[in-house]
Amino acid sequence: MTWIAFANLLINGLIEGLVVALPALAMTLVMGVNRFPNAATGDFLTTGAYAAVAVQMLGGWPLWAAALASMAATAVVSAGSYTLIFRKLAGRPMVSSMLAAIGLGFLLRSLISFFAGHDQRTFDLPLVRAWNFGGVRLLPTDVAIAGIAVLCLLVVFVLIYKTSFGRQLRAVADSADLARASGIRAGGLMLSLWVLVGALSAIGGVLLGMKAIVSPEMGWESLIPAFAAMVLGGIGSPVGAVLGALLLCVAQELAVPLLGPSYKLVLSFVVLALVLLLRPAGIMGRVQRVR
Amino acid sequence: MQRRNFVKLGGAAAALQCLPSIGFSQQGEVFRIGSLTPITGAGSPYGPGMQQAIRLAVDEVNAAGGAGGRKLELFTEDDQTKPDAAVLAAKKLIEVNKVQAVLGTWASGVTLAVMPLTDAAGIIQMNVSGAPAISTLDTKDLVWRFQATNDRFGAAFAEICAKRGFKRPATMAFNNASGLGNVEGFTKVWEKRGGKVAAHVTYEPSRPSYRSELQKILAAKPDVIVMGSYLPDTTIILREWFQSGADNKWVIPGWAANPDLVKALGAEVCEGIISVETVSNEKSTSYAQFDAAFTKATGKAASTNIYAAMAYDMVISLALAMEAAGPKATVEQVNAKLREVSNAPGTAVYSFAEGKAQLGKKAKVNYEGASSKLDFDKFGDATPDFGVFIIEKGQLVRRDVVSITV
Repeated sequence: MTWIAFANLLINGLIEGLVVALPALAMTLVMGVNRFPNAATGDFLTTGAYAAVAVQMLGGWPLWAAALASMAATAVVSAGSYTLIFRKLAGRPMVSSMLAAIGLGFLLRSLISFFAGHDQRTFDLPLVRAWNFGGVRLLPTDVAIAGIAVLCLLVVFVLIYKTSFGRQLRAVADSADLARASGIRAGGLMLSLWVLVGALSAIGGVLLGMKAIVSPEMGWESLIPAFAAMVLGGIGSPVGAVLGALLLCVAQELAVPLLGPSYKLVLSFVVLALVLLLRPAGIMGRVQRVR
Repeated sequence: MQRRNFVKLGGAAAALQCLPSIGFSQQGEVFRIGSLTPITGAGSPYGPGMQQAIRLAVDEVNAAGGAGGRKLELFTEDDQTKPDAAVLAAKKLIEVNKVQAVLGTWASGVTLAVMPLTDAAGIIQMNVSGAPAISTLDTKDLVWRFQATNDRFGAAFAEICAKRGFKRPATMAFNNASGLGNVEGFTKVWEKRGGKVAAHVTYEPSRPSYRSELQKILAAKPDVIVMGSYLPDTTIILREWFQSGADNKWVIPGWAANPDLVKALGAEVCEGIISVETVSNEKSTSYAQFDAAFTKATGKAASTNIYAAMAYDMVISLALAMEAAGPKATVEQVNAKLREVSNAPGTAVYSFAEGKAQLGKKAKVNYEGASSKLDFDKFGDATPDFGVFIIEKGQLVRRDVVSITV
């Protein structure tokens, strides 16, 4: 393998990793605070992608404006699902919330395919030839996708680590009872969190749709990689989710010359198993001790 | 009380339901056909037209006085393009309607799921699916295929590539029986002609990107890439290929390189793609007659749905076999006559009435179908001709027709 081929594979892996990082981050936020794996994350992605497609089709807006509109729409769906479903299940075992999330995913998927049909859709965006640096090819679309993903991740990190909202959120994630005793109101905080999760998922869906196609199954199918990235990074760790996604996707793409594209998926799970053997709680995870 | 009444009523209703079927089976003057086409799901652009074509053919046979002294009776179901739904519908057709043939399954997965049921019931199954496995799993010779196998699609691809003077083909296949069947069929014929395949990649479904797979293929510097693929993956692959700026040509099956692909990518990306799809037996009288009837019934030309002509031929060939087998023939005896009435030698006939007249004179007939010449090989597979379409300025333009010798 020449270094040019290697560089190309690395770039592919990084860009795919950034696309996977958004749903992984959305999932890890809910996991850290509400303590259940939100299996509807994938379908929030789909909702976001379809909302953007709808706005583009009906309003003829440019993609960036459609993406902003879809962030708002998906945030409403996400916050609504928290208020109507997950808030009610807060005290119950994790499994009931998880099953409810799977059900919600089915509902969203069915609604979307009922109204929009099963045919694939694509965003209206111009196709530009790659920039060629002596064989290392960069697609302008990919650069845009990576840029937007990085920007979103930065915004989320600033929110979590630099604002009072984030501090309160982390306090609730650490110990809900202690946070309540210190006068943190969980209600509005949770709603804000789900709005953030919805907006983040919408962007994830739009980016995935730009890279691939928009179909009712798109989010559901990208759920497992996102879940694996979350576990690898350490459940509930935002930085970990991003690192996990990048590591898995880069490992996958670099494996293509060695294993071929059919087995690269297996390799990502080998990486997952190895890391969890060395660090059972994931890259950034802390092993929870039972007090 | 209420429950008891309900049971009584239910029992009475069930008994009533049974009566007509008892009546029919005693008469022995009806041959029951089940139409099982995809009215909903991925096959929904084709299923309704197929069902209408079957109905047209049934009416035509009955108008000519039936086949082998029997009228045809039609029952229709939707297979939803889903194997599980298709199995339920097939069960209903076989057990409740007591059909003697199930016609019109479209997706390979559906046909493979329905075959064990029809085989167990000892009835005829006719389909338009592509999976090569259908040929080998058909141990009782009750399954008839009116569409080219994926393998033969691949052989046609090789013919087309040779004809167009390509020297270094590479192949990409979606990881399933259909995708792999296409490129394996291509590779087999291409290598038999003394050619070499420069590179091959089998790729996984529903990935966000296929750049690494493409990179591997493009590194071999092919002048054409032959695909065994579907629409979604083809969309992603071609978009990334165009942006990478390579200049090879493409040969893609017609179900993936269709107007939807142009809609998704735009005319510039698709310019020059070679799309290969089977075409009906357009020069035949049978096609002209079917086209007229189909257009009258649906308002659409027969060329809009190649599977409709295949579905129509299913009924006509079945009816001719019934006629040849004579009155009171069992399903097995009818099945045994299917090859005889469809294949050479024999007087070429182009409609059921024509065939019936010839059979009445004790002549051998060779039905030339609306969908193809309709010659079944030892597996019960027919091989239509292939149309070569080139995408020019966003339109699929037919440039050539290729026949392959099996």
